[in-house]
Amino acid sequence: MAREWGMRTAYAVSATGHAAVLLWSIWSLAARPLPAPPSEALPVDIVSVSEFTQITAGSKSAPQAETPKPLVETVAEARPVDDPTAKIDEKKEVKAAREPPPAPESKPVEAKPAEKPAETKPDPVAEALAKDKKPETKKAEAKPPVPPKKPAPPAPKFDPGQVEALLNKRVPTRMAAAGEMPNSMPRAGLAHANAAQMSLSELDALRARLAQLWTIPAGAKDPQELVVLIRIKLKPDGTLAAAPMVVNNGTSALFAAARDSAVRALYRGQPFDMLKPEHYEQWKDIEITFDPRDMIRG
Amino acid sequence: MIESFPTASRLSRRRLILLGAGAAALAGLSSRRAAAVLKLDVTQGNVQPVPIAVPDFVTVATRDPAAGRNVSQIIAANLQRSGLFAPINPAAYIEKISTIDAVPRFPDWRQINAQALVTGRITESEGRYKVEFRLWDVFAGQQLQGQQYTTTPDNWRRIAHIISDAVYERITGEKGYFDSRIVFVDESGPKERRIKRLALMDQDGANVRYLTRGDDLVLTPRFSSSADTITYMSYGQGDPRVYLMNIETGQREIVSNFPGMSFSPRFSPDGQRVIFSLQRGGNSNLFVMDLRSKATTRLTDTQVIDTAPSYSPDGTRICFESDRGGKQQIYVMAAGGGEAQRLSFGDGAYSTPVWSPRGDLIAFTKQTEGKFAIGIMRADGSGERILTEGYHNEGPTWSPNGRVIMFFRDPGGNSGPALYTVDLTGRNEQVLKTPSYASDPSWSPLLQ
Repeated sequence: MAREWGMRTAYAVSATGHAAVLLWSIWSLAARPLPAPPSEALPVDIVSVSEFTQITAGSKSAPQAETPKPLVETVAEARPVDDPTAKIDEKKEVKAAREPPPAPESKPVEAKPAEKPAETKPDPVAEALAKDKKPETKKAEAKPPVPPKKPAPPAPKFDPGQVEALLNKRVPTRMAAAGEMPNSMPRAGLAHANAAQMSLSELDALRARLAQLWTIPAGAKDPQELVVLIRIKLKPDGTLAAAPMVVNNGTSALFAAARDSAVRALYRGQPFDMLKPEHYEQWKDIEITFDPRDMIRG
Repeated sequence: MIESFPTASRLSRRRLILLGAGAAALAGLSSRRAAAVLKLDVTQGNVQPVPIAVPDFVTVATRDPAAGRNVSQIIAANLQRSGLFAPINPAAYIEKISTIDAVPRFPDWRQINAQALVTGRITESEGRYKVEFRLWDVFAGQQLQGQQYTTTPDNWRRIAHIISDAVYERITGEKGYFDSRIVFVDESGPKERRIKRLALMDQDGANVRYLTRGDDLVLTPRFSSSADTITYMSYGQGDPRVYLMNIETGQREIVSNFPGMSFSPRFSPDGQRVIFSLQRGGNSNLFVMDLRSKATTRLTDTQVIDTAPSYSPDGTRICFESDRGGKQQIYVMAAGGGEAQRLSFGDGAYSTPVWSPRGDLIAFTKQTEGKFAIGIMRADGSGERILTEGYHNEGPTWSPNGRVIMFFRDPGGNSGPALYTVDLTGRNEQVLKTPSYASDPSWSPLLQ
């Protein structure tokens, strides 16, 4: 009985163990990235087929596809940082000549430096900041050359506590540099990190909207005359910030007609509300090639 | 020294980090500035008609107070028939155009979804009409075109056609075809005793004028490139002959006077020559006659039936129909004759090939299984497409811009043929009103 029981336990343990190993391997092995050469991440929207069709069909009444935030689960609360760039500059202030001066001025290099900071744990950075607050970019940039002049004084001031203080200081700075939202888009972390792309469905929806509004001369004899390149600047609300700028040019009447028709499509298509405000940086400036050659049997 | 070393190194690391952060921020900024412009390719468009508003032209001291409305209605009708425009019902107009010197209230026109707007004014002075018009791009809010014409009041229809052409060309990028005429065979009387007369009309069916009295049987009238001369075939007494006629003066002239039957004449693009086929015995061959020297040159010498020749618009090649391969098929050869190359390879019999004035396409009649279809193919024989099909369709002729084909359709039974138009897409087929039955249309070039 006991043996049977033991066997049963053994089975259970074995089964659980196997299952665990299996699960572990599924998760850990399967999730292991392929050692492929670094490439840009391709943002993918989870959209059901029907939703996708509706979006690309350009229907106004189609339900908005819910796109999950790619990388970040939670968006950090806005830190009390009103201007990211300003913060960066403040941080720069910290870096160089600011903090060294106080010490050498007050006393020679030899004696106390180590004690003082250790005991009272002052925040030299804060002090330094408080002492001369010049949060100007120009200044900050001008600073770096200065430090070399006084290389000696800082040396004795070293103290782990100070470093800690400095590190602590850096937290809000980093946050600030990243903006209010740490990162709402995936970045591959490549040197040319431009992986943050609009989702394809946004682009497709934009393309569909324009295709719907763009009337091409059917059966035109010289379809290459119909290719129009237009650059548009958009406002965050998806309307045109300026008149569309036609980049290429042509002399034929056919080109003029195709050009005007494309420009008309852009005017009529606004606001381009399929473009998400959080991707504004990507779509504020778009170059669109209207090329109907595939459509024309010639 | 030892102490200072790590410090220095720490500091420098810190500095490095800071510098790095600064650099990153800068890089971020610059990369944002250079931020690759988002590129998008739009490779699909629609072929829907462009909604256009054509409010009544403003009239100033015209003898006919309805002149403004008449002109705008003809323009709207022309544009509508082309299939590329959708004139908006005037009842929907919000703004009433009372002058053409002010910029229209574009929001009013956007609201009714007009993409283009045509405004105009007719002023009569010293017995002549001055007609001005402006074409506006409603969404871009700018003028696309502005013209004025002066003419005698009875010419108002032509002015409307000319304006239609200007609007058509500006919006579609292709030349218009509204200021043109059709010559055709008017058929009246009972089926067994049809009277056939040559008739001339505007491309919209207005201003019908008869050119012959109906004593002789007339067939296959064709326009010259000068639009004031036609050539046609007529059975008077004896064999059918090919004639020339000046449609302004009514003057007639025999082109060919050979033994045998000459038929299916057509002008060369320069109007200096007429190409036709001449039947002797059981076969027919192609000949060309220089109209000035009257010299006739034989182009084919076969024991089969070569007929229905048509020049390419550059005048270097001729397409024609021949049964040298058994069934009637379309062939192409150099304008001076020589080796012919077969173009059509589909099932059925191909006839009456006509080269498009644009040069890219050849229209034809195709007979399969008791049906007659009007189709087009590229000048190299590829891309054959049937535009319309039915009991009897025949005699395609191209609009001056090569976008529309006119043909005649005979429903069979006791009724007679009527003229139809179909555009290159095959989607826009329309009947053309004629006073009586009509066949064998030929479309003139744009009038000068």
